[in-house]
Amino acid sequence: MKVWAEEHVPEILRRKWVAIVGLIVVWFALARFLKGVHTLDLGNSQDTPTTEFLGEVASGIRGARAENPIFVYVLNPFRQAIEIFIDAIRSVISDPAPGAVIPIIGWLGVLAIIGLIVFATSNWRMALVAMALVFSCGVLGMWTYAMDTLALTMGAVFLSLAIAMPLGVWAGLNDRVMSFLRPILDLAQITPTLVYLAPLALVFLIGVAASTIATMIYSIPIGIRITAYAIRNLQKGPLEAADSMGSTRWQKLRKVQLPMAKRTIILGVNQTTLAALSFVVIAALIGAPGLGEPVIRALSIRNIGDGVTAGLAVVLLAIMLDRSTTAAVVRSDQIPPTGQALLYRRVSLAVAGIVTVLAIMLSRQQLWAAVFPASLDFRDEIGGWVDSFTEWFTTTFYFLTTSFNEVFTLNILNPIEYLLADAPWYLTIIMISLLAAIIGGRSVAILSAVLLLLIVWIGLWNDTMITLTQVLIATSIVMLIGVILGVAAGRSSKVEQVLKPFLDAGQTLPAFVYLVPVLALFGPTRFAAIVCGVFYASPIVVRIIADGVRGVPKEMVESAISSGSSTSQVVMKVQLPASRKSLLLGMNQGLIFVLAVVVIGGLVGAGGLGYLVLQGASKPELQGKGLAAGLAIVILGIVMDRIAHASSKRS
Amino acid sequence: MRRNLKKPMAAVSLLAVTGLVLAGCGDSVNEEAAPETATSEETTATEETTESTESTETVADCGDWAVAMHGWVGYTASAQVVTDVAREALGCTIEQTQLEEAAVSYDAMEAGSIDLIIEDWGGGRWQEWVDRGAIQEVGTNGNIGLIGMFVPQWMADEYPDITDGTNLNKYADLFTSPETGDKGAWYEGPPGYTTIGEKLIEANDLNFQVVSTGSEAALIELFTQASENKTAALGYFYEPQNFLAQVPLARVNFPASDWASPEEASGLTDYPETPLMKLATTTLLDSGSPFATLVTNFTWTNADQNAVAADIEGGMTPDEAAQKWIDANKDTVNMWLEGTGASIS
Repeated sequence: MKVWAEEHVPEILRRKWVAIVGLIVVWFALARFLKGVHTLDLGNSQDTPTTEFLGEVASGIRGARAENPIFVYVLNPFRQAIEIFIDAIRSVISDPAPGAVIPIIGWLGVLAIIGLIVFATSNWRMALVAMALVFSCGVLGMWTYAMDTLALTMGAVFLSLAIAMPLGVWAGLNDRVMSFLRPILDLAQITPTLVYLAPLALVFLIGVAASTIATMIYSIPIGIRITAYAIRNLQKGPLEAADSMGSTRWQKLRKVQLPMAKRTIILGVNQTTLAALSFVVIAALIGAPGLGEPVIRALSIRNIGDGVTAGLAVVLLAIMLDRSTTAAVVRSDQIPPTGQALLYRRVSLAVAGIVTVLAIMLSRQQLWAAVFPASLDFRDEIGGWVDSFTEWFTTTFYFLTTSFNEVFTLNILNPIEYLLADAPWYLTIIMISLLAAIIGGRSVAILSAVLLLLIVWIGLWNDTMITLTQVLIATSIVMLIGVILGVAAGRSSKVEQVLKPFLDAGQTLPAFVYLVPVLALFGPTRFAAIVCGVFYASPIVVRIIADGVRGVPKEMVESAISSGSSTSQVVMKVQLPASRKSLLLGMNQGLIFVLAVVVIGGLVGAGGLGYLVLQGASKPELQGKGLAAGLAIVILGIVMDRIAHASSKRS
Repeated sequence: MRRNLKKPMAAVSLLAVTGLVLAGCGDSVNEEAAPETATSEETTATEETTESTESTETVADCGDWAVAMHGWVGYTASAQVVTDVAREALGCTIEQTQLEEAAVSYDAMEAGSIDLIIEDWGGGRWQEWVDRGAIQEVGTNGNIGLIGMFVPQWMADEYPDITDGTNLNKYADLFTSPETGDKGAWYEGPPGYTTIGEKLIEANDLNFQVVSTGSEAALIELFTQASENKTAALGYFYEPQNFLAQVPLARVNFPASDWASPEEASGLTDYPETPLMKLATTTLLDSGSPFATLVTNFTWTNADQNAVAADIEGGMTPDEAAQKWIDANKDTVNMWLEGTGASIS
């Protein structure tokens, strides 16, 4: 090992490791010596001046809603306009008008329209797959919920793109716009969704409009980023040609840049759509109709089967939206059909269109085509299977999981929490800043110190450190899983095929679905919260690392094999070092994803900031503290993101 | 390339529009099939309206109202029974909206998107909203809430004096956990629930440390596992809650309560009995709708709520469970309906 390190790790990096290890040893010694001093532990119902102030701000907003001109002339009309827009979409596919039994179009018609759209943008095979996936939502007994979710997602995506596309193009063309937007985009990406639900509900109340706005806040930054990236990373050649031909800027944009960037922009549509879908489920917490309703109700009446069934429907919708937008990307790359093929396609499109019109008519006139037939609905059966499987699984593995939990908590979780939370706050700040200095350089160290002092000033230091402990541990486990599975999937397409459905499901399954089983296995503990974080963040990290490993040039791997390296040598010496960039990106994403479920961890015993956010949402007198906790989570995110960022830039 | 994408999209939208126009000629499902589907499980409120207004002609027009749905079974039971009675006997259009309790719900009431909270435990936390005039207390719903600290029954059998809170220190060792080190674990209630846990520990000098469980589901899992596996657990729980009928718990008692609002609590005394309150919007109460009368009259016992909750947990849908209770308790329901002109038979 030592020899390996000398051969492959640059001198400077090795010195870095020595410094880091040394620092941690000193840290432990000091923490032991100063245990329990100045930990700034705050009782659960205690306030600080800052949290009290935030509570007053919240009450102020509440009082202002009825009369303040900003609310009366800007925010309230904005909310109402969005509500009208979304309700219009819902009235077509999900929500019957007053006095009616079915929405304007029944299930068969909706299915046909989805098929037609997918057929028109990609191919007939994909259209069949999309229809089968949506049909399955009905089989799961979730048709109306699924349509509500689809309506909200489509509405939010449409509004998001209407804002994100022009802004993204502008930011892609103009450096100043980009540098103005970048910090806002970074911040939006770090801020966990559950953190801004409460403040948003304060301004936009609950219901369809508030959830759509919340969804837009989540998905717009993703749309902007990818669109800007698409415009920025075009090949220079055609642009110069356009310039030399004397095109105006508008002509250049319309005729050259947009068409060339189309592929990446559709990818942006794909990402925006998936983001919106995942958010629409969470938005059920502030009254969004759709699949989030059964998911959250299942948690409150501990009906695991129903929650999983609804969660599965979310996964099916996600796969449908993902595959059909991806297929559209593929199609946009192909050479457009001509002659015979074009004629053939036009005729088949026309036939499909006529079939769709027939289906719509049927769905408005025949009951079987209007209301999803109960004989095809297997919700109870599927729910029953899930229930009995979960029951068997949790009782069988309970002792295994609790003892693992105990060993892990005593030997890893407690010592790290002891280091961060049970030592004086100034010691922790100094040590984190020194670590940041070693890893990322002086400016990051200063930034970290300032931001951590800000948390001290807010008054939630101890809770923040409890949360930080769990986030760090969860991210480490995620990286471990990410490297193992990511390398396996990156090296073998067979492994990748097997993993793919699990990764898809893991990335889109709402986190609420697995809370009750996790509780049954681990009890209300900090470890249960860590498990939730690991579940949520692993799929994306596995994907990123697998992608990196796959991207390692074949010649490098082959020359290593031909020079007699064993498999483990190839992995350790070639593939992992060559995909360093992906590893760092994976770590950064892992951190952000783990942070995103900190609040959900609060539901299963994490304590810390997540619990305070939940508490603030339901206890009016502690509302300020909840808002402050949300702020602390964001600050924590910025600190970790910046340190990770700086380290990836340096190396 | 652009032309290629544009053409099919234009064709699609053209066809979709013609489809809608054509289909607009015959919208017969909504016109003819309404009575047919009213028996199916997915019935909507509106169908029941058409069905029941025929039978109760003297009832004033009820209108559209929204009921808050909070995340615990007992609440679901109460809200579903009120909803079903309002829909069937009064012909109201009732929407059920799931949302967080307290501030979020009060805000929603103030904005007019929610009209009723059928069960609120938080003695007076709504005052700020009541002062602004949009929300009113409508009295108790008949349920008595009793919060306390509980241990699984096997512990009370084995250590009879553990049910006296002052003896807890004697048994603190039993409750140690990786979460709390050498102190006993004191599992607290979900984030929104009234609690004086920290005060009880401090005032009685208990060698325990608070663990935040975070949700009702977490508490239920905790006690289920502790009872099945005969492990120790000390946690926050409350009545009415049907879970107590399935897994017996023993209450750890402190001296009788002498406080009403948690801020006044000394920590030396136990939780008080809390009459659970109904809250409604001024709009609803002033509307003259028979739903307002039903809401004002509604009251039932802890046993009633537990019965419905038990059926929900046993696998019935909330609607089925509520119907079952309504059919078995027609007299009570008719008492709630007094003054509306409607009744059920």
